[in-house]
Amino acid sequence: MNRLLNDIRNRSLSLRARMYLFSAAILTLFAINVATHVWGSFARNESLLAYRDSVTATQLLTELGQSLEAHRQRVLVLATLRETTDDSLGQEEQQAAVEDLNSMASQLRGLGAISAEGAEDYYRRLHQSASTLLADWRQFYDDYNSTTREIALDTASVAYEDTLERLEELDGQQERLAVERSAAIDATISLTDRITVIGFVTTIAVTLFLVISLIAKTNARLRRLKKGAQRFGSGDLSHRIETHHDAGEILDLARTFNDMSSKLHYAIEEVRAAQSEADAANAAKSMFLANVSHELRTPLNAIIGYSEMLQDELGDGNPIDSDQFHHDLGTIILSGRQLLALINDILDLAKIETGKMPVALETFQPDALIFQVCDALAPLVAQNHNQLDLDIDRDSMTEMCSDPAKLQQIVTNLFSNACKFTEHGTIAVHAAMADGVLTLVVADTGIGMTPEQQDKVFEAFVQADAQTSTQYGGTGLGLAIVKDFCEMLGGNIQVESAPDAGSRFTVRLPAAPESDRASA
Amino acid sequence: MTTHAPSDNRSGPILLVEDNEVNRDMLIRRLKRAGFAVIWAGDGEEALAQMRQHQPSLVLLDINLPIKDGWQTCKEAREDADLRHIPIVALTAHAMDSDRLAALEAGFDDYATKPIDFPELVAKIQGFLNA
Repeated sequence: MNRLLNDIRNRSLSLRARMYLFSAAILTLFAINVATHVWGSFARNESLLAYRDSVTATQLLTELGQSLEAHRQRVLVLATLRETTDDSLGQEEQQAAVEDLNSMASQLRGLGAISAEGAEDYYRRLHQSASTLLADWRQFYDDYNSTTREIALDTASVAYEDTLERLEELDGQQERLAVERSAAIDATISLTDRITVIGFVTTIAVTLFLVISLIAKTNARLRRLKKGAQRFGSGDLSHRIETHHDAGEILDLARTFNDMSSKLHYAIEEVRAAQSEADAANAAKSMFLANVSHELRTPLNAIIGYSEMLQDELGDGNPIDSDQFHHDLGTIILSGRQLLALINDILDLAKIETGKMPVALETFQPDALIFQVCDALAPLVAQNHNQLDLDIDRDSMTEMCSDPAKLQQIVTNLFSNACKFTEHGTIAVHAAMADGVLTLVVADTGIGMTPEQQDKVFEAFVQADAQTSTQYGGTGLGLAIVKDFCEMLGGNIQVESAPDAGSRFTVRLPAAPESDRASA
Repeated sequence: MTTHAPSDNRSGPILLVEDNEVNRDMLIRRLKRAGFAVIWAGDGEEALAQMRQHQPSLVLLDINLPIKDGWQTCKEAREDADLRHIPIVALTAHAMDSDRLAALEAGFDDYATKPIDFPELVAKIQGFLNA
């Protein structure tokens, strides 16, 4: 109930509560109308009955007056007869006279029954006089046949006059009452009519007002819902339908709409995110293909170009410059080897990217492996007039459970990379093991990289500069593969470098897979 | 506002701009064998200088160049009143259709994909020189 009052104060009633209130108001008005009508009918009926009594009383009074007059005539005739003759009154005649008196007495009683409210006093006086008169007449008949007694007609005459007077008084009073009561009936009728008309007009007005306000309110709320739904439909899912005017069903509906919108919003965002992820993956794939195509075409250009040129030179009949010919064939072979290395790197990278690069765990001595690789690549160091600073801390080394082939490729790629970008400098390879982690540092005193170049150095197909690719050769895939391998083996790689100050790559690899170390 | 008659252009040498030494030497030798006078440059900056100095009859321009790449070099040549009439053919290992369209839109007159089809390249060069 308190809540209802609160809601009414806040003008935020539910549709159902509103309907109930409206129905209650209309029913109350209707009940008032019915009550008024019932009371009106009752009052009218009461007045009508009283009026009828008055009219009946007047009638009875007239009849009684006539009976009295007729009987007096008869008494006077009998009295005259008795004086002039000695005729006695027959039994039957006497009987009829008494019956007549009785009937008048009963008429008097009947009059008494309907002479209420405002006529009792008059009736009482009439009753007194009439009773005296009737008693006198009864006495008259009793004495009639007695010769000894005088008939007291004088008294009867006085009583008769008196009775007639009272009769007229009562008659007058009853007539006044009848007029009064008829006026009361008119007043009641006009009053109930007025109340009924006012009641009906009020009921109609209130009902109309309530219905119109209900329609208007509901309409406004539904319009807000519709507008909101339209905005959702047009794709504006961040829109929210205002709910602070609403309550009950409309509020529920609005909230449901808002919920639906936010869920849709979320779902669409998810789909969009998935879409853009897929787009990014597709773009990356296309980019990869374009890059592969580009990388393969560069050595192929040399191979095909030189081969065609040599074929032309052989065919034109001029003497062959054997040194030149030998050099050109060397170029073709070098380009072919570069193409092969490129294809191998691309296959590795594709395997890594599709998650199909297997890790073959073996137990091996890392110091031996690193030394073998550096030894095998020693000619590369000499090529650019560099010196090798090899420092493997064999005392710290324990056996390692990892993928030796991948470690070998990591060392090879970093080593050849350092040799490629350094001239008349030093290539340093340091390795040590501590706390179950192998740390391998490959540092050079070569051309180095700017911070921007370092950011991209581990991306596939990126050499620090387009120039370096052609100047220094290489596939631009080596460092990307190194980084992927380091991560596959549970480790990482970092680079420190500055232009013309050399580069320093630091690899950290766990000596055993993550699960083994955790249980150890 | 060209200050050179077309006949002057045809008499000039072909300028080959290529940073890869192996591919550059190979192409110079083959073009010379085909009877063209060839000069060369190793980057975009040098290429523009050579164009101003020698007014070549045609430029074969690699896209991936150090210092100033092929796109920028072509753009600057097109903005230079003295150079804009010189035909420029792009040489690139980028072989996608989108790359070809991008090159033609960037102001290149033609486009050759590596590995170079030499007879086709010669036909293209002669087409420009005899225009």
